[in-house]
Amino acid sequence: MKVDFIGKCLLLTEGNERTLAIGDLHLGYEGAMRKAGVMIPVKLYEKCVSDFDLIISKIGKVDNIVILGDLKHEFGSILPDEWKYIVNFIEYVKSKCNKLIVIEGNHDVILFPVLRKMGIVAVDYFVWNNIVFTHGDKEYDEMKNRNIECWVLGHGHPAVNLYDGVKKEKYKCFLSGNYKGKKIIIVPSFFPLVEGTDAREFEMKFAWDFNLNKFKTYIVSDDLKVLDFGELGKISIN
Amino acid sequence: MVESKIEFIGPRNGNEVKAIMHPLVKEWFFTKFKDFSLTQLYGVAPIHERKNILISAPTGGTKTLTAFLSILNYLVGLSLKNELEDKMYAVYVSPLKALTNDIYFNLERPLAEINELAEKNGLKMQPIRVGLRTGDTTPSERAKMARKTPHIFVTTPESLAIVLTAPKFSENLRSLEFVVVDEIHALANKRGVFLSLMLERLEHFSVITPVRIGLSATIAPIEEIAKFLVGFGRECLIAHVPLIKDIDIGLISPGVDLLTMDGADDQKRLYHILDELIGNHKTTLIFTNTRNATERIIHYLDSHFPGKYSGNIGAHHSSMSRDQRFLIEERLRKGELKVVVSSTSLELGIDIGSIDLVVLLRSPKSVSRALQRIGRAGHQLHSNPKGRFVVTDRDDLVECAILMKHMKEKIIDRVDIPINALDVLAQHIYGMAISQIWNIDEILKLIRKSYCYSSLTKDDFMSVISYLSGDYDLEHRNVYAKIWYDKETKQVGKKGKLARLIYMTNIGTIPEEGFVSVVISSGDSKGSIVGSIDESFLERLKKGDVFVLGGAKYLFIHSKGMKAYVTANVSKSPTIPSWASEQLPLNFDVASAICKFRGLIKERVKNSIECVKFIQEYCYTTAETAGQIYRYCLEQEDFSVMPSDKKMVVELFKQDKEYILFHSMYGRRVNDALSRAYAYVAAQLKHRDIEVGINDNGFFIAGEALDASKIIKGLTSVNLRKIVEEAIEKTDVLKRRFRHCAARSLMILRNYKGRSKSVGKQQVHSHFLYSAVNEISKDFPIMREARREVLNDLMDINNAESILKKIERKDISLEIVRTPLVSPFGLNLLTQSHSDFIKVEDRVNFLRRMHELQMRVIEKR
Repeated sequence: MKVDFIGKCLLLTEGNERTLAIGDLHLGYEGAMRKAGVMIPVKLYEKCVSDFDLIISKIGKVDNIVILGDLKHEFGSILPDEWKYIVNFIEYVKSKCNKLIVIEGNHDVILFPVLRKMGIVAVDYFVWNNIVFTHGDKEYDEMKNRNIECWVLGHGHPAVNLYDGVKKEKYKCFLSGNYKGKKIIIVPSFFPLVEGTDAREFEMKFAWDFNLNKFKTYIVSDDLKVLDFGELGKISIN
Repeated sequence: MVESKIEFIGPRNGNEVKAIMHPLVKEWFFTKFKDFSLTQLYGVAPIHERKNILISAPTGGTKTLTAFLSILNYLVGLSLKNELEDKMYAVYVSPLKALTNDIYFNLERPLAEINELAEKNGLKMQPIRVGLRTGDTTPSERAKMARKTPHIFVTTPESLAIVLTAPKFSENLRSLEFVVVDEIHALANKRGVFLSLMLERLEHFSVITPVRIGLSATIAPIEEIAKFLVGFGRECLIAHVPLIKDIDIGLISPGVDLLTMDGADDQKRLYHILDELIGNHKTTLIFTNTRNATERIIHYLDSHFPGKYSGNIGAHHSSMSRDQRFLIEERLRKGELKVVVSSTSLELGIDIGSIDLVVLLRSPKSVSRALQRIGRAGHQLHSNPKGRFVVTDRDDLVECAILMKHMKEKIIDRVDIPINALDVLAQHIYGMAISQIWNIDEILKLIRKSYCYSSLTKDDFMSVISYLSGDYDLEHRNVYAKIWYDKETKQVGKKGKLARLIYMTNIGTIPEEGFVSVVISSGDSKGSIVGSIDESFLERLKKGDVFVLGGAKYLFIHSKGMKAYVTANVSKSPTIPSWASEQLPLNFDVASAICKFRGLIKERVKNSIECVKFIQEYCYTTAETAGQIYRYCLEQEDFSVMPSDKKMVVELFKQDKEYILFHSMYGRRVNDALSRAYAYVAAQLKHRDIEVGINDNGFFIAGEALDASKIIKGLTSVNLRKIVEEAIEKTDVLKRRFRHCAARSLMILRNYKGRSKSVGKQQVHSHFLYSAVNEISKDFPIMREARREVLNDLMDINNAESILKKIERKDISLEIVRTPLVSPFGLNLLTQSHSDFIKVEDRVNFLRRMHELQMRVIEKR
């Protein structure tokens, strides 16, 4: 199996088949903000589309696209035209693959009947070859089967703070390591504008007790480049 | 626009003032008091003559009664003639809620007494009503006030703004005759900016121009404060009531070896001094600068003198609950406490009974603050306030000596009021639009009358209007606009039915401080909240740190959102330095005076006898203390070069890294700007892993191989501003301030649609907001205001610029010296910055070791 990091997305190639994994999206965040009295308009949707375009322009159409969960941030607070954006985005992503799989995350409670109506597979976890794709907040028995070699997860929003002596900057990153014989790849959130959680400072609340300090860190910089920074625990914290 | 006309006045004589008074009021006054106070001789007559006046008098004076005497006099006269109308005659505004309550009672009582006297004399009086409204006033109390208009309205600036937008109740302000602003010295900040716009709105609203009366403790520059009170182009009298009471002030230095007071033996000496002082006085108030120091002192007093300080001691600081603080204040008033240790919370206002001694443990960083604190001692009119500085290291010693000198010579350091703050402006325009439709030029004219906005450009003003009217997202304008602006008619008005509600529930300028709850994470008390710490302290905590809160020790595990998880029953010693978060910056005027002092010592340093004598006289101190100061300076001059007001010394030395240490004795606000700028220049020159350290006395940058001369040349007075703006981009400090500004500009609503949002949620959003706003435009007015606040209010970019200019003009010569290790003057700066990594004992040993090395270098020479 070939593993590639294309910007914020994970591309897995097995033989002729290619699967692209997209991390947590949280579409509709603006609505939640507004409901909470934060009056700053954000063009989140447009940014998601342009980020996704950039990636697709590099790799072309793929066989499968898996969205690892938290597609929708919060239901009910959303403006009518936001609903339109979400449906549009899903249709757009669907057009770049043969099969679109959406994993249920902890934020996606009411979305699923709608997705099924659109003909989209909506599941708790997805198995492809010997890889399981799931959100990461819950464990499913099949994941522990002996033939499963790799878990691809979202949920953690991994990011890392880098300090150059003068300033601290946070970057989205992939975390890759091992757990009880399985290879684990944690995909950063696709959600633009906010990097995520630095695992050295906060718990990521996965369903398992990963030793994240031993995981390898792949930092996503601009223009799709991803850089190997080595073990998370070894990156200087200040 | 014509500048304001300011005039200093002197006191009238008692008979003149008596002549003004209504016979009934005169009778009442002289049954209560023997005679007029000096403050009253200054202030009563001008107010009667309806002149704007700023009364500056030392704390504990009779300012409030002075302000009200003429007003009561006038109202009593009217009420006896049955001519009292149902309107507000006077508004009293104070930034302190608790004080406002105090004042209310202080007005009710005299009025009741005058009433009694009137009855006794067979005179009939209409009732004179006083109304109180603050954030705590209940709806039923407000309804009562709406039915019966108070003649004197006592309130806070925020509540006043709310009242002004209330359609019916605001009508009572239509012919306002007097406005009293108390505690003006506490308003040299955005709250003051808010108030100054408030006063302009009030004046615009009322058909009568109200007389403005300002009450202030000793403050400088007093003419500017007067202009702040009355606004641009108006007249103001200043009653600068002199300090007739001599302050009994002294300085205590714990001993010859003043490197630090942190070691175990030094601690013993320090606490013995405190114990002795406390023992010799009935009630002592000890001021420290930080909440952590407050906790520590109580903790150590107890451990050094077990049993002696258990029931009779109390702490008072702002992260204690209101009830806890009130309890301490009560006990103080009743005389039940022997000693109270406070950070800054007991500096202002409310009566706390009689204090015999105020101890200032470590420098209070400005003369006005020192005077405020010592003014808390001896509230009776005829006792001299007594205060003692207790210093804890050599820099502290020099600083307090100069502070003491300035206090004795009555040299007050200056405050700065924020100018052209766009966030407060946005909030006010929003409020104005709620009351009525305005013409845009009318608004600008009104705003420019405020001292804080007299230089506001039309561009900046229009950018705020643009923001408020939702220009930044035309597509969703109906969602984001707070006002409508019609470009053709040039009119502005409120938008949406919720406008007034939003205004009322989100008004104010005090940033909601993120108080982080400290929660027990395991064991029996798991989940219980034991207190709170502020955000800036949380920023400093690392896993495993031990800190003291409410007298107990806690070990920090981790934090999530606005909760910090800890374990209790810790045996380990505290590891986090007490001054982690709330360091007060040294006032620039005081810092400059220390520079000048250094220069004067430098001229005489070769002659020890002459120099010590000079220091003794200059600082009004003992020979022993003068000797300590002399030796400190001599060490620096012998080891390296002594800096002064004419010479900026930059030392290069190598320790674990290469250091460039600037003896920039200009206060941490200036040093914050300069250090960031130099660090940025160094980073631009491809230097890696740069470390920065600052304090009031200087700053350093350190790195692997630093090209000092290139770095120094890289920063000029011309590129400073741009470099600092770049350096703060994306930093936590800018993001935090941005959140504050966004809240003030109503971009983030604390209370919206009936839900109140915790600061935690605001916190989570602010990072996102910052990115989002930058996507809109880097020049978004609220973003620009956040930058202005960081550069001008938090740092001091203007003075930093002027120092660089002086160096460029050679008014200050820059001397670069290479030294074998850190110099005596640089020692505190170096160790302080490393204290995160070094435990207390290690720090003490480190200091001693460095000092020994320095002495050896000097001896070799």
